[in-house]
Amino acid sequence: MSGFAAFFGKELTEIVRTWRLYVLPGIMLFFGLASPIIAEVTPGLIASAARAEGTGIVIEVPPATTVDAYVQWGANAGEVALLALIIIAAGAIAGERTGGTAQMVLAKPVSRTAMLVAKLLSTWLLLGVSTIVSVVACIGVTAVVFDTSHVPRFLAVAALWYLLACMLAAATVTLSVLFRSQTGAAAAGVAVYIMMPIVSLWEPARDHSPAGLIGLGHRLLAGTEDALVFWPVVTGLAAIAGLTAFACWAFGRQDL
Amino acid sequence: MSAAIEMRALAKSYGKTRALDGVDLSVPEGSVFGFLGPNGAGKTTAIKIITGLARPTSGEARVFGREVTSATNEVRALIGFLPDVPGYYPWMTAEEFLRLSGKLFGLGGRVLDTRVSALLEMAGLDGARQRIGGFSRGMKQRLGIAQALINAPRLLLLDEPTSALDPMGRKSVLDMIAALSGTTTVFFSTHILGDVERVCDRVTILDHGRIVRHASIGELKREGHASRFLIEVERGAEDIETTLAAQHWVAECRRDGQLLRCVVSDVSAARLSIPAVVAEARVPLIRMLEEEPTLEDVFVELVGGG
Repeated sequence: MSGFAAFFGKELTEIVRTWRLYVLPGIMLFFGLASPIIAEVTPGLIASAARAEGTGIVIEVPPATTVDAYVQWGANAGEVALLALIIIAAGAIAGERTGGTAQMVLAKPVSRTAMLVAKLLSTWLLLGVSTIVSVVACIGVTAVVFDTSHVPRFLAVAALWYLLACMLAAATVTLSVLFRSQTGAAAAGVAVYIMMPIVSLWEPARDHSPAGLIGLGHRLLAGTEDALVFWPVVTGLAAIAGLTAFACWAFGRQDL
Repeated sequence: MSAAIEMRALAKSYGKTRALDGVDLSVPEGSVFGFLGPNGAGKTTAIKIITGLARPTSGEARVFGREVTSATNEVRALIGFLPDVPGYYPWMTAEEFLRLSGKLFGLGGRVLDTRVSALLEMAGLDGARQRIGGFSRGMKQRLGIAQALINAPRLLLLDEPTSALDPMGRKSVLDMIAALSGTTTVFFSTHILGDVERVCDRVTILDHGRIVRHASIGELKREGHASRFLIEVERGAEDIETTLAAQHWVAECRRDGQLLRCVVSDVSAARLSIPAVVAEARVPLIRMLEEEPTLEDVFVELVGGG
């Protein structure tokens, strides 16, 4: 992987010096801080909304718990943060190609595999730091608003979410190789993201494929006894490796 | 003299379009070589194959004897490349981009420091502190040449380096190229004929993916079939215009006031007969100039544009 260290260094510097430093970590930090508070106020909001309707129907909403705070984090991070991640990853290779920087860099002794792996690793690193910041913030606010129970289970949920996000990043970077534009890659990435929960409705796919990662955290927090972790994790890791290998192969065969 | 670039039956197709069609070419080491052709002739495709950015459909290309598709990084280590539209990271400064370029070649320490300083000065960017995103086109082009020289390349590939530059920017870039003559092989693609005449030793003309001529600038000009004569008289230009136009060795004669421009097919006959025609008509001659064919004339003749 000739040129990897220099290009990876450029990727890390680019994160620090551009909008990429603020978007994903900012979204994750916001949801880390806000999720427990949203969980705490949601039952009161529902009850008051029902009263305001004046239908005479009384809705009994149980008070929020620590688990609700962590479920709320999973829901928020699973939607907005993953969409932001897809948009960022869609520009990984397509952006270098359309901006003309791929030609400038790859006419030097830098392998295409080095460029692609540096892009993926830097995205995963940014995602990892963002996840840690968000999780720490969420645990802290949850401890203040609720209590410190279920932290190990929440950490497991966050780890599964991170794996899912890494896999979506790998899929979107692969699409960024295949599509000539960032918009096309982002649209295809969103389509993959939308398809995953649909595929996971089929039980064998939910229990034995990476599609199962999408609802697994929620089911673990809810204490669902048949929530199988092993196969979604193993197949998720295999999907990351397979997508990366395919993206390197496809990128290596393209004319720039 | 050994060859810096060799192409043997090099072909490249994009679908049904044949961008390169069996190109054979040898570029001598140390030369400033003009790769000339109209837009879409296949110049950029050939350069992309040499740099490993594109693969040939058939045939082979060698750089200093190394086959470009099998020894990609080994070949790239010897090359400096400026694409037709250079892309930069807009958040970087010129110095940061040169440092990145050097590191991608495996340079570091004092060697990199020295080269970055020297190249910034050569490109006139040593005082530029702003980010590349705020650079003018000329500044970007000069930075492009500087980054292409960071590895002290044996072969410098420049794809249309002066297109879209203003006259000052063009002069500055051409001066930089001329300064490299004799030390680095420069392979210079362009459709601007004046640039080729100014800096190149030899030239290859490419059209529709095929080489139509390969010669030195002098050879090309000498082989130009038509020559032009400019005749200025005090009065009576219309009288000699008719006489000259009737001569079998005059291909074309145009009058603008008392100025006549004649394209002739037989220079010797023209040299003998034009003064005689003027004298016979008793027209006072101010000047008679013979203009040698420009590279533009030869180019248009070869690619059939005129």
